[in-house]
Amino acid sequence: MAKLKLALYWAASCGGCEIAQLQIGEKLLKLAEVADIVFWPVAIDVKYKDVEAMPDKSIDVCLFNGGIRTSEQEHLAKLLREKSKVLIAYGACAYVGGIPGLANLFDKQSIFERVYLETQSTDNPNKVTPQTKHQVTEGELTIPELYDTVKSLPQTVPVEYIIPGCPPEEKTTWMALEALIEGKLPPVGAVISHNAKAVCDDCQRKRDVKKVKKFYRTYEITTDPQICLLEQGLLCAGLATRGGCGAPCPQANMPCTGCYGPAQGVTDQGAHFLSAVASVIDSSDKNEIQKIVDDIPDPVGTFYRYSLPDSLLRRARIK
Amino acid sequence: MLNQFGIEDKRVRLDWVSASEGDRFAAIVNEMTEQLRELGPLGLSRGNGGAHG
Repeated sequence: MAKLKLALYWAASCGGCEIAQLQIGEKLLKLAEVADIVFWPVAIDVKYKDVEAMPDKSIDVCLFNGGIRTSEQEHLAKLLREKSKVLIAYGACAYVGGIPGLANLFDKQSIFERVYLETQSTDNPNKVTPQTKHQVTEGELTIPELYDTVKSLPQTVPVEYIIPGCPPEEKTTWMALEALIEGKLPPVGAVISHNAKAVCDDCQRKRDVKKVKKFYRTYEITTDPQICLLEQGLLCAGLATRGGCGAPCPQANMPCTGCYGPAQGVTDQGAHFLSAVASVIDSSDKNEIQKIVDDIPDPVGTFYRYSLPDSLLRRARIK
Repeated sequence: MLNQFGIEDKRVRLDWVSASEGDRFAAIVNEMTEQLRELGPLGLSRGNGGAHG
């Protein structure tokens, strides 16, 4: 059997997905037996023009991590879609926008103003902000354009599969790679994980319907190791989030932040999380409820930590 | 949370109307639609749709 042609790419992401891919350890050798890597900017020197020269659908599988927020990333998303038989959104950023997706609370202009003009360590008397074109004696220099809105990969081009996580757990990555190696692919559109139910289904903590009078940040309380973190007043996204990770965060006394994306059947992860939080508040007094809710810092950043671009609203209004 | 999205308080209203209060129901719906008409479109589609969003 001819070896599989595998491509890996990173768009708006942090590099953690590459670490996660290496985390499969000695299984990489098994992967190398059946697949040749034809494009992987983090590790091998293959230029974009080399990819452009490849015949359409000549790449068997492309693992694409990162969201789409520049013209370069959009170009590569479209290019790799053309060249790949199977395109996989790898990790939370490609799947639902991820942490960089929180930029959808702002727009390009306000981001440039903050980063290049206002930050305390900035010395920029000529108020220079990035331009896509610049003329120098040697010719015209260009850089990609930054967009106002971060999009997920499936919002940009159709994908066959999704591997969730920030980053995906090693066992999730391997579950997908093993299916590819053995040619036992799930139905197109599948989100690959060991558990389609919520993270709570993976979590060993007990729920005993305790009602919450105050929400805490993690450093503010010492939690009971046996009891559900949400019921102890920590903003745990487990109820709204796809399982399969094995709930390592709640086991380490940290609330789930939602990195595996919406649980099966959940359209808007943040709204579902918010609804779960509302249901544990123990008060029917309007003012008291307001006070309890006011303790939640940065609601969008809490409820839509990874999934703002994938939410029903997708972004804040541009004034 | 909707404030963080740039959505004004006036665009959201939670009220209770009994099945027997038809007039009140109509008045609230009229008030709300009038209020929304004054505020104008949400404009969220700008930046959401196009490739250059």
